[in-house]
Amino acid sequence: MRPLDPRLLRHARAARGYVALTASLGIVTAGLVVAQALLLAHALGRAVHDGADLSAIAPWVAWLAAVVGARTLVTALQERFAHRAATRAVAELREGVVAHAASLGPRWLATGQGPGVATLATRGLDALEPYFVRYLPQLVLAATVTPATLLVILGLDWVSAAVLVVVLPLVPLFMWLVGRLTQGRSERGLDAMRRLGAQTLDLLAGLPTLRAFGRERGPAARVQALGDAHRRATMGTLRIAFLSGLVLELLTTLSVALVAVGIGLRLVHGGLDLVTGLAVLVLAPEVFNSLRQVGAQFHAASDGVAAAAAAFAVLETPLPADGTRPCPDLARTTVRLRGVSVTSATGRTPDDLDLDVRPGEVVALAGPTGSGKSTAVEVALGLLAPDEGTVELVGPAGTTPLADVVRADYWSQVAWLPQRPVLEPGAVRDVVGGADDAARSAAAALTGLGEVLDAAPAGWDTAVEQLSVGQRQRVALTRALLSAAPWVVLDEPTAHLDAAGERVVLDTVRALRTGGRTVLLVAHRASLLACADRVVALEPSEQPVGIAP
Amino acid sequence: MTRGTLRRAVALLEVDRRRAAQAVALGTLALGCAVALAAVAAWLIARASQMPPVLTLSVATVAVRAFGIGRGVLRYCERLVSHDVALRGMTTLRTTLYTRMSQGQPAALLTVRRGDLLTRIGADVDTVGDVVVRGVLPAAVAAVLGVLTVGAMALIFPPAGIALALCLLLAGVLAPVLAAAGAGRTQERAAEGRARATASALGILDDAGPLAVAGRTHAELAALAAADRDVAAATDAGAPASALAAGVGQLATGLAVLAALVTGVPAVTSGRLSAVALAVVVLTPLAAFEATSVLPAAAVQVQRSRAAAARILALLDAAGPALEPAAGPTHGSPSTAPDAPDASPARPQDAALVARDLQCGWPGRPPVVRGLDLHVEPGRSIAVVGPSGSGKTTLLVTLAGLLPRQGGSLSIDSTDLDLVDRAGGAVLHVAEDGHVFGTSILENLRVARGDVTPDQARAALGDVALTGWLAAQPDGLDTLLGPDGRTLSGGERRRLLLARGLLSPAPVLLVDEPAEHLDPGTADAVVRALLTRHRDRGVVVVTHRLTALDAADEVIRLEGGRVAARGTHAALLASDRRYREDLAEESREDA
Repeated sequence: MRPLDPRLLRHARAARGYVALTASLGIVTAGLVVAQALLLAHALGRAVHDGADLSAIAPWVAWLAAVVGARTLVTALQERFAHRAATRAVAELREGVVAHAASLGPRWLATGQGPGVATLATRGLDALEPYFVRYLPQLVLAATVTPATLLVILGLDWVSAAVLVVVLPLVPLFMWLVGRLTQGRSERGLDAMRRLGAQTLDLLAGLPTLRAFGRERGPAARVQALGDAHRRATMGTLRIAFLSGLVLELLTTLSVALVAVGIGLRLVHGGLDLVTGLAVLVLAPEVFNSLRQVGAQFHAASDGVAAAAAAFAVLETPLPADGTRPCPDLARTTVRLRGVSVTSATGRTPDDLDLDVRPGEVVALAGPTGSGKSTAVEVALGLLAPDEGTVELVGPAGTTPLADVVRADYWSQVAWLPQRPVLEPGAVRDVVGGADDAARSAAAALTGLGEVLDAAPAGWDTAVEQLSVGQRQRVALTRALLSAAPWVVLDEPTAHLDAAGERVVLDTVRALRTGGRTVLLVAHRASLLACADRVVALEPSEQPVGIAP
Repeated sequence: MTRGTLRRAVALLEVDRRRAAQAVALGTLALGCAVALAAVAAWLIARASQMPPVLTLSVATVAVRAFGIGRGVLRYCERLVSHDVALRGMTTLRTTLYTRMSQGQPAALLTVRRGDLLTRIGADVDTVGDVVVRGVLPAAVAAVLGVLTVGAMALIFPPAGIALALCLLLAGVLAPVLAAAGAGRTQERAAEGRARATASALGILDDAGPLAVAGRTHAELAALAAADRDVAAATDAGAPASALAAGVGQLATGLAVLAALVTGVPAVTSGRLSAVALAVVVLTPLAAFEATSVLPAAAVQVQRSRAAAARILALLDAAGPALEPAAGPTHGSPSTAPDAPDASPARPQDAALVARDLQCGWPGRPPVVRGLDLHVEPGRSIAVVGPSGSGKTTLLVTLAGLLPRQGGSLSIDSTDLDLVDRAGGAVLHVAEDGHVFGTSILENLRVARGDVTPDQARAALGDVALTGWLAAQPDGLDTLLGPDGRTLSGGERRRLLLARGLLSPAPVLLVDEPAEHLDPGTADAVVRALLTRHRDRGVVVVTHRLTALDAADEVIRLEGGRVAARGTHAALLASDRRYREDLAEESREDA
């Protein structure tokens, strides 16, 4: 784990100012820690050794009070801005990751590291908060206070400094050694922990099912047994994980004790004066303090650092290049797929697909589940680059590869209804669009949305969020009818609909055809296929066959 | 959400008091070593500066070293004991949750989404357990150590003891209260923004393609940024209190040292305090605040855990107390109606499920099915059809006794369904979202009945047209299925659940949409097998496929929550225009 990844500063602007602030406050803190120790040692030393009264040490005490006030202020400032910076940096990374992942397209999101992005963006990156708020400040203090105090001790009493300098490198060395020795064991332990935890959750998640079968009573003992096994496995891991903490505390506390004893013995022999001795005694724990905190916060922080690294990996995935040429008018352009293949985990789907969608035509893509119908649609929409083959726009002005066209320009001429309709929240009236109420009512009568709205008390003002999936599909169909887009893509529009709903879809497709729109239809029901001008059947790993209507 | 919430949840952990006391004792000793180390070191150095014979210091030099070792070792033991206490508590809480959920109101499980349930019994129980390790035990250690340190200090020099006590209260009470208030304010104001940010982010990622094509990606990203800005503003609202808390913690240490110095030095001048004791009184506070320094974080943890505790308790409260089977032969409870014809539980073999004028619906909402009569007994099969949203699934859940009925009567073998011990398993509801356990195919089928043989399992899988699928599995019936059946397709999963239902001994099966996700041929074969091959039991099937229903003894067509038509397939074809049309439509499509 890299303690401070420079990429963090590059991708999260909010982190830059915060790191600068933390670094300056760290330097100030180092000065204040040293000042506090020296002032306290002088005041106390004079009083103990020389019997000085309060008025004699008053200046020291006054300065000490000032230093205490300053440290209070610095601590509060650090905390004030830590949360703020953490929230903003997490937000920046989240927005960046979501925007970038969305641009990488649906296929990337569905495979490899894609599915993890949702967890990363919603919960994972929150782990950066302890990193910013707790770990980073202590890391900075370890870099400022530790050397500053050590140098001052060296100036005051080289013997004590020598003891500390010998111990200091032992801290990381022993932590590393303990880590190495225990790594294998604790990984096995963690693995067992995860497995047992998953089994317990599996039983609990299956409770409704067990209950349905009347077999819910037995597993209570199993939940208890799994819990006990989980605890034993966890304790086995912790026994080892806590060893590094033990070593850290032993080394640091024992070295402070040794320094104290050393000072005491040299004071007896007059080799040292009391003020120096007290200063070293107060400073010695400060050498290790921030190091110990870094160690204590390490685990909390490492989750955040891992999340940040995952975020950088997404942000640094190159985006597919957008085209530069304007899109020709799709009302006069044929979309042509030639030899298109997409390789996925289940094979080549589609495999060597040829498809022409001419202006004003209704073309249906048919084929069994898994033959690549939806993938073919994604390729035709320019959301996915085919592994083999070409997609071209063939118009009166010539042929343009789809890859060269500005995607947003192309999409502005397309209305796409995916299997599950994606609608923005809002009143149905606003979501469907359309020129006026008359046009809306006419379209709604055709798609069956009219019936739905007649039954709803709010009518056209009904919120889309309140509708069922089938009803939302009718909203989406109405919107497609009302849109001006020359190209309409319908992916399985009859899923979620019964026979009556299906008639509605047929009527909609006919209306679209009458309106001169081009329709690409993904369908498996015969009634829908029958209303297409042409059906292109996809077979898994076989040549697609063109069928005349 | 009140203070009592967390206390109730923590009480459910049934923390072992002896072990908890042990953890507090070890923690107090560990941090006590640090305080003692500071005090003895101060004494050692101050005394040494008076150049006494070396021998007078020997006890102190040994003690300093011993405290140096003791701190680390004791702290290690304390961490182990406190984690053990918490883990035991979490297991107890999970077992309690499981037991109460398995024996309480069945509707409690139906109203919680699956993912939500997993969060509550997974992360939320962990969070409540965390309160013990990070909240309760550290607070107890700080309290005990604080009292001991103040007492020792007061013995040496009472004014310094009083000053230390006040400063410890600042750091150990005021700072945590401020920190909790700050975190609470942020949490409260940020909750809505966080939820919106999560929903926005998931929406954009789930529908990246459609949003891009519709040109709405930028608007959605702007909504995400706006939600994030609200969260940032909420953080700023809580930050001053958090900053004050951190400052107070730092200030308390300084004040304790200053107070000891200012009161102690005149006392030395006037001879009431020895010079060596002054060093002890002034330097000890530097180490005395370690226990309180973790308390602000502890208070924030308590704040966070409270929300988790509330979610767990809501689940428990919904489940209610364990339901006692009121009609068991040994339970002559007064709640059993005296005119109940037979108080013994239904004998599964001749069970008949009878509904009269049944009304079903979700609690607190109007009924979605009204006035339904139904009679199903072994050997009889009934199909329920109707457009989506006509209440078919609600009806099945009510027939299964999982949802309290809103009116009418419902009995099994002449005994009111409410009075029958559900563990008797007379009625089995094969839910569409049934759970596939992360174990082998055979073990998943054995959930129905512990003694299912491999041959019976194969036969059941054959009934649901999964023979080909089984043959493709690497280890046959012993093939492990991923957690929650993620390795299965929708259709395979649905049929596996159905096969499990077929293997159960329940005399009445209620099956929800067995044909979904299947091609027409397979769908009809599965429905037909279900309706015909199990004449030893009663079957109620909810389905949208009509073709295979000639095999059903009765078909009920629901529309708008009422029975629009009923009779045999042939009778409905003859009398019901809509049924005829729908079937014709279906056959046209399949052609």
